[in-house]
Amino acid sequence: MLRVKDGDEDSFRVLLEKHRNPVVHFVYRMVQDRAVSEELAQEVFLRVYRSRATYEPTARFTTWLFRIATHVALNSLRDGRNERRHERLDDTRDGEMPAREVSDKLPSAEQRLVYQVRLQEVRDAIALLPEKQRAAVLMHKYEEMEYSQIATVLECSESAVKSLLFRAYESLRARLGHMSKGGLG
Amino acid sequence: MNCPSRTQENLGILLDYVAGRLDSVNAASFEAHMATCPECAEFGRRQAMVWDALDVWEPAPVSLDFNRRLWQRIDVMESAPWYRRLADFMRFTSWKPAIPLTAAALVIAAGFLFDHPARDTAPSAPTASMQQTEVDQVQQTLDDIQLLHQFDATNPGS
Repeated sequence: MLRVKDGDEDSFRVLLEKHRNPVVHFVYRMVQDRAVSEELAQEVFLRVYRSRATYEPTARFTTWLFRIATHVALNSLRDGRNERRHERLDDTRDGEMPAREVSDKLPSAEQRLVYQVRLQEVRDAIALLPEKQRAAVLMHKYEEMEYSQIATVLECSESAVKSLLFRAYESLRARLGHMSKGGLG
Repeated sequence: MNCPSRTQENLGILLDYVAGRLDSVNAASFEAHMATCPECAEFGRRQAMVWDALDVWEPAPVSLDFNRRLWQRIDVMESAPWYRRLADFMRFTSWKPAIPLTAAALVIAAGFLFDHPARDTAPSAPTASMQQTEVDQVQQTLDDIQLLHQFDATNPGS
């Protein structure tokens, strides 16, 4: 980012390649709307580009980036800019089964159906979490961020992050506890 | 080992164990604790179940033209006049928190104005017309006195 600050556009391309997928996926899991999440992720990178001249490396770049991404996603949720429309399961591309869920032969229709029901349950359970808990879980589980990083992003203490996560996982255990590992039949 | 489920500071151990982020020494220590603590063992079992359930959600790949669209937006942003840049900035800035603050400020300002009405206000319309009537009456009285004087002068013996 310091090279970007010095006007090196190629370094911005490198940053974009490295962080694009995590940012888009994080924002998507926050707002659960594909079109909105890509627009918001673009806004995140626009803000990074706009702020390149004033960037100060006070924290890790990833932390700073996710702080912007969280801010943009929470603003969008609070403004209700994305009407919460649950895409129909057969509409959504993340209805595809991940490779590790599929054995060497193609999944049967029943396996696909079970998988899609499980996926919808997970999405609903995440969507029902309060915004801050949701952001904390997504950063902890999917982005594998440290407590200190999550604390910086959410502007709270590390112990507050642990409490947030504990409460969030408690809710998720209550909602998803019935899903066993071998649930694909 | 202090039971992680009972102390706020050690909550991270429970979460880190299931996430596979504990080093081997701490993981072994926690496993030994779980063998004697049904509460933590149950927590570990159920948390592992949730952890696996969350693995189901893999988002679709990002659109192929994401970068192209972003560079287009950067080009537009760079060539846009300042007011357009400001409008774009405000588009993604939440103003909702400002609404109650603005409303509170307006209420305070209105209360202040009602409590401290302006002192040097212009006379209202009825007051002005009343003052005009008084001037007319004085003028009329002076005219009457002058008429009486003239009457006395022309009729000295009366």
